[in-house]
Amino acid sequence: MLKKKMFRDIRKNLSQFIAIFLMIMIGIMAYSGIKAYMDGMKKTSDKFYSENNLFDLNVVGPLTHNDLKTIKDIDNVKDAELKLSVNATTDKEKTLLLNFIESNNISKFYVLDGEKFNPNKSGIWLDNFYCEENNIDVGDTILVKYESMELHEKVLGKINVPDHLYDTRDSSELYPDRKDFGFAYMSTNEITEDYIKSLVMKEMNIKDEKVFDTIMLNFNYKDYIPYSSIMVDVKNKNKKYKVKNNIEDKVENAKAIINVEDTSSYVTYQGEIDEGKTYVGVFSGIFLFIAMLSIITTMTRVIKKERVQIGTLKALGFSNRKVLLHYIGYGFWISIFACITGLILGYYVIGNIFINLEMAFFEIPNGAPSMNISSYYVSLIVIGIVALIIYITGRNILKENPAETLRTKIPSIKGNILNITKKKFFKKFKFETIWNIRDILRNKMRTFMGLAGVVGCCTLIVCALGMLDSMNFFVKLQFEDLYNFDYKLNIKEDIKNNELQVLYDKYGTNTSKSLGIEIKDKNGKREANNIFVTDASNYVRFVDNKNRIKDKPNNKGIYVTYKLASTKGYKKGDIITWHIYGDNKYYKSKIIGFNKDPQNQNISMTRKYLESLGIKYKPDSLYTNIDLSNTKEIKNIETIQDIEKLKEGMAGMLSMMKTMLILIIGIAVILGGIIIYNLGILSYTEKEYQFATLKVLGFKDKQIKNIFIKQNNWIAIISIILGLPMGFYLTDWLFKTAIEEHYDFGAYITLRTYIISAIGTFIVSYLVSKFLARKVKKIDMVTSLKGNE
Amino acid sequence: MKNFIELKNVVKTYVVGEQKFNALDGIDLSINIGELVVVLGPSGAGKSTLLNLLGGMDKATSGSIFIGEDDIAKFNDKELTRYRANDVGFIFQFYNVMPTLTVDENINLIKDVTNTSKDSKEVLKSVELEKHADKFPQELSGGEQQRVSIARAIMKNPKVLLCDEPTGALDSKTGVEVLKLLKKQSDSDTTVIIVTHNSLIADIADRIIKIKNGKVVSNEVNKHPKNIDEVKW
Repeated sequence: MLKKKMFRDIRKNLSQFIAIFLMIMIGIMAYSGIKAYMDGMKKTSDKFYSENNLFDLNVVGPLTHNDLKTIKDIDNVKDAELKLSVNATTDKEKTLLLNFIESNNISKFYVLDGEKFNPNKSGIWLDNFYCEENNIDVGDTILVKYESMELHEKVLGKINVPDHLYDTRDSSELYPDRKDFGFAYMSTNEITEDYIKSLVMKEMNIKDEKVFDTIMLNFNYKDYIPYSSIMVDVKNKNKKYKVKNNIEDKVENAKAIINVEDTSSYVTYQGEIDEGKTYVGVFSGIFLFIAMLSIITTMTRVIKKERVQIGTLKALGFSNRKVLLHYIGYGFWISIFACITGLILGYYVIGNIFINLEMAFFEIPNGAPSMNISSYYVSLIVIGIVALIIYITGRNILKENPAETLRTKIPSIKGNILNITKKKFFKKFKFETIWNIRDILRNKMRTFMGLAGVVGCCTLIVCALGMLDSMNFFVKLQFEDLYNFDYKLNIKEDIKNNELQVLYDKYGTNTSKSLGIEIKDKNGKREANNIFVTDASNYVRFVDNKNRIKDKPNNKGIYVTYKLASTKGYKKGDIITWHIYGDNKYYKSKIIGFNKDPQNQNISMTRKYLESLGIKYKPDSLYTNIDLSNTKEIKNIETIQDIEKLKEGMAGMLSMMKTMLILIIGIAVILGGIIIYNLGILSYTEKEYQFATLKVLGFKDKQIKNIFIKQNNWIAIISIILGLPMGFYLTDWLFKTAIEEHYDFGAYITLRTYIISAIGTFIVSYLVSKFLARKVKKIDMVTSLKGNE
Repeated sequence: MKNFIELKNVVKTYVVGEQKFNALDGIDLSINIGELVVVLGPSGAGKSTLLNLLGGMDKATSGSIFIGEDDIAKFNDKELTRYRANDVGFIFQFYNVMPTLTVDENINLIKDVTNTSKDSKEVLKSVELEKHADKFPQELSGGEQQRVSIARAIMKNPKVLLCDEPTGALDSKTGVEVLKLLKKQSDSDTTVIIVTHNSLIADIADRIIKIKNGKVVSNEVNKHPKNIDEVKW
C-alpha cells in the first residue's frame, strides 16, 4: 500500500520529481560523458600504441645499416628499424612527409583499406585523412617528387600510424592541414639508384658519372641511403634511459635521441588528454555540484512537506524504519533511474559526440568512449546522498511525537535576522521589496542554493564563450602581433651560400634559424629545448607578458620565455649552459630579458649574439611580404607557408572547440533553467498561502506576480555579478593549468561575451520565473488558505 | 434597515472525481446593512462556502449574490479582485497575517490595493496594537495576531467584514476582546458576518442564520442581543 502511496505522491508532485530526475540525470550525464570521452581518448591511444608497437626512441641521424646493427646489439633493445624521411611534393603541389622503410614491425600501419606493408611491393601507403581530403582511393596512382626522383606510385593502402596521430609541417602550424599535407610510406626499394648516386657524387664532389662509375666499381646504392632516423623498440621500458645513454655512447652519427613522449604527435595527443582531465574535473564537477545543491534542497523540502503524513503514519503504528524506508524510496528510485539514464546518455551522446570531434582531429582508428568505473561510483554517491538527505530529514521529523508531528510546523522566523530590515533605511522601500528582502533572509538556504545554481551556470557560460574568445585572441597575438609577415619560406637544409643570396635578393633578408639544444642544469641533468635565432627585423616580433610588442632584442645575451623562466626558476642575469645537438661544445649564455610566446617555451637570441659565440648562422626560414599567392614552388625552398592559411587552419581547430563548448553551454543553460525552475517551484509553494492571502486582500494577479518575479530577478542579477568574474578566473585557471606545458596564454574575454552571458543567464531566469508566475492566476484562494490551516 | 446583502437561489456544486455534491443547495437569504450576523451550522453544512462566495473568493454555480446593487455572482475575475480590494474585509481562524511583515506593515499593506484606506495609526489604536506596531507576528500572542488581522481588514473601510471562526483558535477571554472589536465595526455600519460552530456567540448577534446540508434552516433576527461581556465559553 505504501508503494501505491509513493507512486501517487510522486505523480502528485510530478514537476518537482521531474526536476530532481533531470538534475541528477544531467549532472551524471555531463560527468560520465566527459569522463567516458577522456578515458576513451586514453584507451584508444593506449590500444593503438600497444597493438601497433609505437617506437620508444627515435635516433636522429643521418644513419647507416652499421648504426642499425650497433643499436640492435645494445642490451634491452628489442628491435630497431631504419627510416628515411623527406618532405616530398605531389603533382598537385601538396606536401607529403615521405618515409622510406625496409620493414614495418615498429610503428606498424593500421590499414584501413588496402594491403599490409610489403617491402617487395612497389607502391605507396598513404595517410588516410589525406586520402579522404583529396579523394584518393586504393589503386589510384599518384606522382611523388623529391629532388631528382619522380615516382609514379600506386596507392596500396590507406593507413594510420601510431607516430602520426597529429602532423603539421612545422611548429608554426597549429592545426594539421590534411588537404595539403600528409604522410606516406614506401619501401626503400623505391628509392632510385640515380638519386642516391647523385647524392654520393655531390658528397664526393664528382661531376662526371663515368668517373664515379670507374671509382666506385662495386657501388651498391642501398649501402649509401642516408637514413634520417632509427626507430627503437625497447624491451624494458623502465630502463629506456639506459638504452638512450648507450646509443649516445656507441652511435657517433646519432645527432639526437628523442623519447617518444617528446615527439609532437604524442605530446599533442597526450596534451589533449591532460587538458581533458582538468576539464572533466572542472566542468563535470561544477555540473554535479550545482545539481546536487539543488537536489539536496529540494529533497529536504519535499520530505518536510510530508510532515503531517509522516505523523499520521506513525500514529497509525508504522515503525520509524518502515516510514523512513518508504520515504527513502522516493529519492532512491528517482535517483537510480536518473543515474542510469544519465550514464547511458553520457556514454552514447556526450561521449560519442566529443570523441568523434577529437577523432576528426587526431588520426587514430577505433576511437570510442570508455565508461569509467568512477562514473558508477559517482552515481552511487549521488544515490547515497539523496537517500541520506531523506534519512536525516525524515529522522528529525520522526524524533518528534506523533501528536506534535500532526500539527503543521509554523515556519520559525528569527526576529533578530529580520530586525535589521526595520531600520529607517528600509522604510523607504515598497512593500514588495521589503517582503522579498525578508523572504530571502528567512530562506537563506533556499536562496543560497538558487544563487549557487545560477552562479555556476553563468560561470560555465562565461568560461565556455571565454575559451573561444581567448583562442581567438591567441590567434591574433600569434599571427598578427608576433608574426608580422605574409609568407614563411622553409629553406632547404643543403642550400649553398650563393643560392641563399639569390633568395635574399628576391625575397629580402629577414630570416631565422631554429637550433635543437640541450640545457644542462647545475646538477648536470640535461633537458631538450630549442633556440630561436632571429635576424628577421620586425617580421618576427616579441611581446611582454602584457602582450605589448617589445623593442628589438639586443645582442648581449639570450631571452627566455616567461613560462620557461617560471618553470625553471630562471632570473635575469642567470647563466644558462647549453649545447647544440650533434655538437658537444657547451656555451654559457646570460639571460638578459624575457618574452612571451603563446606556443613555444624556448630561448631566443639575435643572429649577432649567436655569431659572437662563434657559431655559424645558416637560416632555415625566410620571411617575406611579397605576394606569393600564385607561386607553387621556389628553388631551394622546401615549403611556402601562407600566414592566411595558417590562420584558416586554426579556424578548423576553433570550430571543433566551438562544437564542444556549445554542448557545454547547452547543458549549462538546461541545467541552470531546471535549477531555477525547481527552486522557483519550491519558493512558490512555500509562499503560495501568502499569495492567496494577498489575493483575498484584493491584490491583483499582476502585483503578486511582480513580487515573485522580483525576488528571482534579484537572485539572477546577484548571480550574474558573481558569475562573470568567476567565469573569467575559471577560464584563466583552465588555460594556465590545463593546457600543455609549452603553451602560455591566459583568459582574454571580450565585453561581448560578458554581455551575452549576463543577458543569457538573466533571460533564462526571467523566462522561468515568468512561466512559474503563471501559477498565481490559478491560485485557489479557498484551498490554499485551508491547506495552510 | 434595507437589505444590503441578498442571496437568491445560490447553488455551489463541487465535482469530486465523477461525483457532484452541492455545498450550497439553493440558498436564499437577506442581510441588512450594519448587522452583526452569526452563521451557525455543523461541519460540512456549507458555512465556509457561503463565506467564500460572499467574499468573492469563489464563484457560485448558479444564483445571484447581491452586495448593494451589484450581483457579484456575475463578476469576472477582474471585478472580483476589485471587489475584494475595496469592499470586503476577511478575518481568518488562523489569522493569515504576513509573517515577514511587522504589524504596522501588515496593516499598511492595504494601501497597495485600495485608495480608500483609513489612517493606519487610528486603526492600530482602535485594536490597541500601537505598542506592537514594529513587532513581527511571531512575537505576538494569538489574540494579538487576530487583532492584526482585524486591523488589516478594517483598514480598507470595508462594506462587509467576513469572519471565518475568528475566535476558533483563541481562549475565551481573548475571544471576547475580538468579538468586541467586531461588534464595534457593525456599530459603525459595517455588515459583519461571523461563521462559527460556537452557538454561544450567536447570543450577541443581530441576526442568526442556521445552515444544514447546504440549505438555510432558519434566518432569524435576534431581538435581544446580549452584551458581549455576558458571553462565556
